[in-house]
Amino acid sequence: MDPSPSSPTGSHAPPAAAGPEPAPRPRPARPTAPAPAAPAPVRRPGRVPLNRRAIAVAGTTGIVLLAIGIAWGGTGYRYDPYIEMQPAVAGKVPATDKELKQLATRLERRSRDLTAKLKTTAPRGVYIVIDQTQNRLYLKRDEETLLDARCSAGSGMVLKETGGKNRQWVFDTPRGRFEVLALLRNPVWAKPDWAFVEDGQPIPKNPADRLESGTLGEYALYFGNGFMIHGTLYERLLGRAVSHGCIRVGRDDLRKVWANARLGMRIYIY
Amino acid sequence: MRHRRAVVVLTVLLLLGIVLGLVGTGCSTSQPAAPAADANTRIATLQRSNSLLQRQIDLASGKDFYLVLDPAAGDITLMLRGAELQRYTVLGLTVGQPRVAWLSRPDPTLWQDVVWAHGELDPPRQIDRLVVQAAPPGKEGAEEVAQVPPTPEEMYPVPSRYHVRFDNGLSIEIRPLESDTQAGRWTKLRAWLGAKWHDAKEAAFDRERDAVRLRVALNPKDAASLYRSLPPAVRLIILSGEQAAAPKLAPKPVPVSTPAK
Repeated sequence: MDPSPSSPTGSHAPPAAAGPEPAPRPRPARPTAPAPAAPAPVRRPGRVPLNRRAIAVAGTTGIVLLAIGIAWGGTGYRYDPYIEMQPAVAGKVPATDKELKQLATRLERRSRDLTAKLKTTAPRGVYIVIDQTQNRLYLKRDEETLLDARCSAGSGMVLKETGGKNRQWVFDTPRGRFEVLALLRNPVWAKPDWAFVEDGQPIPKNPADRLESGTLGEYALYFGNGFMIHGTLYERLLGRAVSHGCIRVGRDDLRKVWANARLGMRIYIY
Repeated sequence: MRHRRAVVVLTVLLLLGIVLGLVGTGCSTSQPAAPAADANTRIATLQRSNSLLQRQIDLASGKDFYLVLDPAAGDITLMLRGAELQRYTVLGLTVGQPRVAWLSRPDPTLWQDVVWAHGELDPPRQIDRLVVQAAPPGKEGAEEVAQVPPTPEEMYPVPSRYHVRFDNGLSIEIRPLESDTQAGRWTKLRAWLGAKWHDAKEAAFDRERDAVRLRVALNPKDAASLYRSLPPAVRLIILSGEQAAAPKLAPKPVPVSTPAK
């Protein structure tokens, strides 16, 4: 019996008895014999085999990416110098020179009227402008700035009452146009409820217990809803938003404001 | 024979006369065309000017804050009810319009002849409110507040460029001019790439956003001041005229630029 590796009985066959060399090791049985290995292709140094499909894919990808890049490069905003559009005549164009002249005269008259009307909207005399975000107060007359002062506007803080009526106050300075409604020399502060709540003090029932003098400085310009332009004890905090909504100004600047102040004076807060 | 020649000469002269007459008439009729065109332009300019004046009066009569951009004077002014609140010098003014893959979109509206409404800052100015719970009466005072509150500069950091976006896809982009020249190459490149990326994204995918974008270059101090101070829901009107060819390099002094006392 031939102990061939492919023999189904070969795996359990005893080794060959005699001979100095060991007998060949039996292999597990396989249904078919393996095909002889194909000889490896001979590669010449310096030459890479070309795969046409890979080249096509790479080329297409490159072209697509390039197209996307070019399209993306032309996507965004194109900036050109500002040019005013040419006006066109609105309505019916007059046919004769006489009508043209009449229309031009009418339009010129209207232009003068409108210009005059626009001028009346501007504030007359001295007025106050307050930049509440940057805490600046400007005293202006027409286009001239008479005073540029640091001030303190509302802090924006929210105060919540514990117990009681559970009220809430937001310390913002209002925006808009206001008028000086009262001019107060050596003003006395009638402390509102929030001042007591903030300090953890009971709210007094007697109105006289609310009065406090010296806190608001030498002068105050009252412009409604409890808001004033007044002095402060905390000049080191000027330029920062620390107030409860009023506008605090340093003593020297407040004197200059007071010197120009009058009832009905316009106050613009932004 | 003589008669025939004379007739020919007369006919030629007559024809020549007619031709010259026609040419002369043509010249005489074409000359008044120029004054008529001038008159039309003048009327159109007056109509626009009056319309602008009327819109300014309407704005001054309203309660909204508004910006007046004057390209000819080279400034942008924040106003309320006809009062000038703050004026900023415009160092450069360009108009940006979106394009996708090199194709520009058509101009959507007559944006120069309308009042731009509901302008809001983008990115918005964040207000960090301190909320204090008061102590009950008779107990300790309210929660201790920070001793020295922050300055406006600390409270409101200003982005390198920002927008004020209005209704109907109109917007202005405010950018400080000097920072471009002071920045290093790498910083410039990074800023340019960032801006390019955002612009391309907005132009390609956000069609409603900035159909017209006015780019306004201010000096850095003014750009920061405008960002900190601009009230909400601001409006904008563009006055007639164009900016001088070269941008002003030395801005005129404005109140906001003066040193703090």
